[in-house]
Amino acid sequence: MKVLVPIKRVVDYNVKVRVKADNSGVELANVKMAMNPFCEIAVEEAVRLKEKGVVTEIVAVTIGSKAAQEQLRTAMALGADRSILIETEEDAQPLAIAKALKAIVEKEQPQLVILGKQAIDGDNSQTGQMLAALTGMGQGTFASEVVVDGDKVKVTREVDGGFQTVELKLPAVITTDLRLNEPRYASLPNIMKAKKKPLDTVSAADLGVDFAPRTKTLKVEAPAARSAGIKVASVEELVSKLKNEAKVI
Amino acid sequence: MAKDAVGYALSSLNKLASSGVLDRIGLRKFVERMAYTLTKTGFRVITTSARTFKASKKLDKPERLTAPGHTTDLFDLNITEEQQMIRDSVQAFARDMLRPAGEKADMASATSDETLAAALELGLNFFAVPESLGGAAGERSTVTGMLVAEDLAHGDMGQAVAILAPIGVANALTAWGSADQQARYLPAFTEDKPPKAAIAVAEPSPLFDPAQLATTASKDGDDYVLNGKKSLVPLAAEAELFLVAAQTDDGPAVFIVEGGTAGLSCGEDPTMGIRAAGCRPLLLENVRVPASNRLGDTDFDYRAFIDLGTLAWCALAIGACQGVMDYVIPYCNERKAFGEPISYRQAVAFIIADMAIEIDSMRMLTYRAACRAEQGKSFQREAYLARTLVKDKAMKIGTDGVQLLGGHGFTHEYPVERWYRDLRVLGVAFGGLHL
Repeated sequence: MKVLVPIKRVVDYNVKVRVKADNSGVELANVKMAMNPFCEIAVEEAVRLKEKGVVTEIVAVTIGSKAAQEQLRTAMALGADRSILIETEEDAQPLAIAKALKAIVEKEQPQLVILGKQAIDGDNSQTGQMLAALTGMGQGTFASEVVVDGDKVKVTREVDGGFQTVELKLPAVITTDLRLNEPRYASLPNIMKAKKKPLDTVSAADLGVDFAPRTKTLKVEAPAARSAGIKVASVEELVSKLKNEAKVI
Repeated sequence: MAKDAVGYALSSLNKLASSGVLDRIGLRKFVERMAYTLTKTGFRVITTSARTFKASKKLDKPERLTAPGHTTDLFDLNITEEQQMIRDSVQAFARDMLRPAGEKADMASATSDETLAAALELGLNFFAVPESLGGAAGERSTVTGMLVAEDLAHGDMGQAVAILAPIGVANALTAWGSADQQARYLPAFTEDKPPKAAIAVAEPSPLFDPAQLATTASKDGDDYVLNGKKSLVPLAAEAELFLVAAQTDDGPAVFIVEGGTAGLSCGEDPTMGIRAAGCRPLLLENVRVPASNRLGDTDFDYRAFIDLGTLAWCALAIGACQGVMDYVIPYCNERKAFGEPISYRQAVAFIIADMAIEIDSMRMLTYRAACRAEQGKSFQREAYLARTLVKDKAMKIGTDGVQLLGGHGFTHEYPVERWYRDLRVLGVAFGGLHL
């Protein structure tokens, strides 16, 4: 069984991002980039399925500039067998990404597509769902457990107030939640091996996908700094402040 | 010409200005201003020399110089894509595993089996063993080894020593071991449970000099008999393999000593810092090893063996110092005194600026030495420059880290006191490791 794992290059989660001076976005110059943490979980899940013998081939794919090759190499160091870079300089939005992935799905015919539930840059949480809709595959989103059984896959989803288990017919799209697994560290020998694994590049234009943005970001602002709190001497004072100053009770 | 004209005019004006006539006719102010203006503009003219500049060629855009197309292999600070990936992986491990376990490992004077098992997943040991013997090393990787040591120590120096000590032994066997020695000892390092191992060089003698060892190895038939006391040996109580430096009739040499050999025992002398490495004295009483266990053939280079250990300590110190700096910067920006962050005080800010300068200096010297070693060039001078600087500055940065945290720095609640103790090892470190 072949698995397709779409991944995304984002600002490293340890970096404290800064808004650009002109409010057009987040400062990316000289900022450490890394694979989106949810994508790491997706790669790890695919690798574990391969270790169990369920999966035979893992293909990692990403959309972005040449620099995104670094993340594909990381995916291959973690266990992906080969990878595809859909090269574009444009800032691709979820719908465009989903359409490009659909083209790759049609070409590669994977039985499973495992991707992160969202990327920590845009926090859109749309690509997986859109891809499922566009390809007509079933979707199990926010997965905390994945069990492949013959031509079906059982996905336990984290939903408000508990878990929901859905059974999907393969091929299917799964998006990973935080608690699905703990990704491994890439080992040094595997990092060296990753260099020799194939990395194909296709240009976004060749896929015939319209990358024109459907939404426009007007302004990006840092969240307002929280002002310091105050100490109250007694419960009475607290209640009176909540009533008269904050007017919440 | 101009000077002359101005000079004449001024002298006549001055003559006029000093005469009493002006006061009588009320022209003093006017003449004085004239003298002033003329002096100013006149001298401005004469200090500007005349030259006509002409554009010889029309430029469409400004010309800028680009970086040279070649890099000098001797000292290229760019790391490769693989090295960056290795760093990413090792840094994540150090941050998630070593840093949180640091305090407990220090208290327990040992690195937990859990941490050591997790470290194995990084596959560092494979990197020390050649491909033909089951490892993954295709070429020398002194610089990568240095980067790994630095990143591990950024998480926690003591545990980093425990993780790297066996790898140092494997590195030394790969660098100098004879064919028989490599075939016998190296494959074990690629097994699921690689041996714990360490290098024993330092001795508890005043002004210890690795070229003049008190531990002796005397030839007795087909064997060598080793006697002496080694100090600061990582994992001494549990190691299954040691490389022991000892003085022979023909100078210092290194011997492969298996753990459990008769006459080999380990003392009890807990260390001040890097406690997680389990450093202890190693006692050798008539320890008999076959002559074939003398490390290397004729090509063994004892100086390089010592220097590569030195560089490993330098790399660890750099990582630990970087850890100190990365910790004190946010602390000093958040800690308030007199109504403002203490980093606003120059006495505080200058210490941190010095740290940054010193860490980079240490790094440059160590990189350079490691780089030369990797290329098979002489690197003893560079290694000693690095060691001398690191010894001074690493201990200073350890102290400064504690100082910057004030009263907090002195308590167990903050890690800087541990890092201070860890960095003190640079004053005495010899052996134990190998890049």
